[in-house]
Amino acid sequence: MGRRKKIHKEAKWPRVVSLKEREEVLSFWEERFGIPKEIFQDYLLLSTAKNYWLFIAPPDLRPLQNLKVQTVGLLFTRRVSRWLKPTSTALQRFGHLATKNVLELSPSQLDRLRREKRLPFEAEVEEGYVIIKCEGKVWGCGLYAQGKLISFLP
Amino acid sequence: MLKVTEAPAYFARYREIIPDFEKFLAHLREPLPLYFRLNELKAPDPEVVLAGLARQGVKAEAVPGFPHFYRAEPRDFPLGNTEEYYLGYIYPMTLSSALPVIALEPKPGEYILDMCAAPGSKTTQIAQVAEDKAVIVANDRRLDRLTALVANLKRLGVACALTTLYRGEVFPFGVPFDKVLVDAPCSGEGRYREGYEGELLYQKEGHTNLPAIQKGLLVRAFDLVKVGGIVVYSTCTFNPEENEMVVDYLLRKRQAEIVSCTYPLPHHPGVTEWEGRPLHPDLQKTARFYPHETQAVGFFVAKIKRLF
Repeated sequence: MGRRKKIHKEAKWPRVVSLKEREEVLSFWEERFGIPKEIFQDYLLLSTAKNYWLFIAPPDLRPLQNLKVQTVGLLFTRRVSRWLKPTSTALQRFGHLATKNVLELSPSQLDRLRREKRLPFEAEVEEGYVIIKCEGKVWGCGLYAQGKLISFLP
Repeated sequence: MLKVTEAPAYFARYREIIPDFEKFLAHLREPLPLYFRLNELKAPDPEVVLAGLARQGVKAEAVPGFPHFYRAEPRDFPLGNTEEYYLGYIYPMTLSSALPVIALEPKPGEYILDMCAAPGSKTTQIAQVAEDKAVIVANDRRLDRLTALVANLKRLGVACALTTLYRGEVFPFGVPFDKVLVDAPCSGEGRYREGYEGELLYQKEGHTNLPAIQKGLLVRAFDLVKVGGIVVYSTCTFNPEENEMVVDYLLRKRQAEIVSCTYPLPHHPGVTEWEGRPLHPDLQKTARFYPHETQAVGFFVAKIKRLF
C-alpha cells in the first residue's frame, strides 16, 4: 500500500497574507517602480508557497473558501531566494503605472532579447528587476545587472 | 458529418421559426466577419492597440452598441498570432457571443458564477465590464478546458476570478451568488457553416442527451442564485428542445420569471409552441438571434429572475 496523501479542502485555498507581509510586497512595488500601494487597495494578497496572488477583496471571503479551487486571482509576485520578483503577467497589467526602473527597448532590441535571453545593456536605472517596454507596450520583467539585461520572455 | 448540401434537409424542421429561411440557407455558405474585444484592463489606451494592428494591415472599426468590440478586416487575418493577442490586449470572438454578458449586466461587488466558463470569452468579458471588481467564480467540468480558461484569465490580466472544476449540475451551495451565467454545452447549430468548426461541434455532441444536461445545469444555477438574483441561460443553437423547452422546464419546476432585455442586434421572440406542444407564454421574452440577420453565430438568450 502506498502512502495516501491527505487532502484538506482548506489546504487548496491560498492563505491571506498578514498585514506585515502585504506591506513588504506592496512596498517593494512602490519603491522599485513607483507604483503606489493604493492602486491595490481593492485587492487581497494571497500566498501559496513562494507565490503571491492578487485577488479582488470580496464582501465576505468565507463562503468562497469552501470551494475546491484550481486558481485564485492573478499571479503577482514571487519570492526568489531572498528577493521579491514581479511577474510579467502582473507587470503587463500594472506596469504602465510605473515611474522608474522602466527600460524602453527598440523592436530590434526586444527581438534579440527574446531570442538570446541576455543582452549587453547600459541604462540609467538601478540594478535589479526592471520593466521591459517597447513602443508603449509593457512586455514584462527583466533583470538588469552588471551591464547586462537578462529576461526569459517567450 | 453534415455537408452543406445536406443542410437544407437538416434545418428544414426550423422552416417555420427561422425568418427568411431561404436567405438563412444561402448565408450558411458565406464566411462570418471577424470581431475582437479590446481588453481595457490591460490596454488603458486603445489607440496603442489599434495603431499596432493597423501597422500589420488590420483595419479595425468599433461596433455600434457593443462597447470594446471591433470588426476586423481582412476577416481571415490570424489575430491569434499577433503581439496584441499575446499581450492580452485583444480577445477574438464572434459578436453574438457578447450577448449573454450584455443580458447579465455584471457590476462591481457582485458574486457571479460562470458555470460553463471555458475557454473564457465571457468570463473575461464579465471581468472587463465589472472593471475587475466583481467576484467571479469561473467553473468548468473538464480539466483540459479549464487549462485554456486559466491561460486566458492570465493573458487578459484578470485578478477578480477564481477557477473551479465541478460538474455544473452538482456545483456546491454556500456562495450567495447575485448572478449566474449558464452558457450551456449545446449542439452548436448556430455555429454551423460550410467548412467551419460548427460541423465538428455538431458531430461531436450528436449522441449526447443535451436537453437533459442543460436542464440539470439550469435548475442548479437557479438554486445557486440568491432570491431576486439573475440567471442568464444561453446556447448557440436553434433547437427549441435545447432552448425554450429547457427554460419551460425550469418555469414549471421553480418560481422563476423571464425578464425582458434590450439587445444591440436584431432578434426574434422565443417560441411558445414546438411540434404541437404549447410552452409557457412568457418564453416570448427570450431572444433568438439568427446568423443571416446578425452576421454572427446563431444564439439564444434567456434572462431569468429568481422570485423565491
